[in-house]
Amino acid sequence: MATINATISINSDIMSYPVRINKTMTMKKAGSCHGLEETSGLNHRKFSSTDAVVIISNTEGTADKASKVYIRNTGSDKAQNFYVSLNASASAATTTESLGKLYGGDWMLIPWVATAATTHDFCVVPSTAETMTLEWMVFEE
Amino acid sequence: MATTTATVSISSSDLMPGSNLSINASSTLMKTGLTTGLEVVEMGKNTLTVADSHKALYEGGVAAADRDQASWVYICNSATDDTYYIEVTLHDTVIGSLYAGDWMFMPYSQGDNAAELNLEAEGGTCPYEYALFATSKTLLDSDQA
Repeated sequence: MATINATISINSDIMSYPVRINKTMTMKKAGSCHGLEETSGLNHRKFSSTDAVVIISNTEGTADKASKVYIRNTGSDKAQNFYVSLNASASAATTTESLGKLYGGDWMLIPWVATAATTHDFCVVPSTAETMTLEWMVFEE
Repeated sequence: MATTTATVSISSSDLMPGSNLSINASSTLMKTGLTTGLEVVEMGKNTLTVADSHKALYEGGVAAADRDQASWVYICNSATDDTYYIEVTLHDTVIGSLYAGDWMFMPYSQGDNAAELNLEAEGGTCPYEYALFATSKTLLDSDQA
């Protein structure tokens, strides 16, 4: 059993008083006190076209478990993004499985049910053909 | 201009033998394609019972001006029983399950009019915390005569 900790800190001055969120989670197996034990390892890939690409296939996960997915746009350009969706053939703004955009430096960490269907693939679409880089890692039971 | 910074640290000393895992990332959240900070935040705390079934934390039917924008959602399941979890769904697509103590942070562009973000408690009543950081929010038309 491994111990994987993930801590988020959000600080903002949007309000007239400080907004502070600090939370640490230990990634555990579904319904268990035991930690996740497997990972895809950290993936790092350059993209140089605006074609949609599946970066994580549903076949890489086990359905209905407590998997987690971390994705980060490693660039710094806030005008360019990766559109992230849970659909192998989507990532357009008008599909209901579209999650959102990762601009330069942005990251996300979410649970993943990994249902055996292409609607549970992670798909990205770069906003530009200029080279952008994405890193991602899957944590699984 | 407001400044909202989101930082994550992922670490493990025993996931990969012989190699400590240490991921650290920080991002200043900006308005859509710009270098000006987000200016909208909604946050709170609530509880969800199993009997509640699916409930929309955020409706997809936002004003057209607010769709496909840079927005972010944070959700944390504050339950302490390991068997209690919150299933998070984007319209009809299950994203995943937040078990007791789990949190998630993701972009949420609400690009589709039906892309509501739903929560459903399983196993038992789950207290949860949430926050939405957004580029804009246009108030919807009132039903008031």
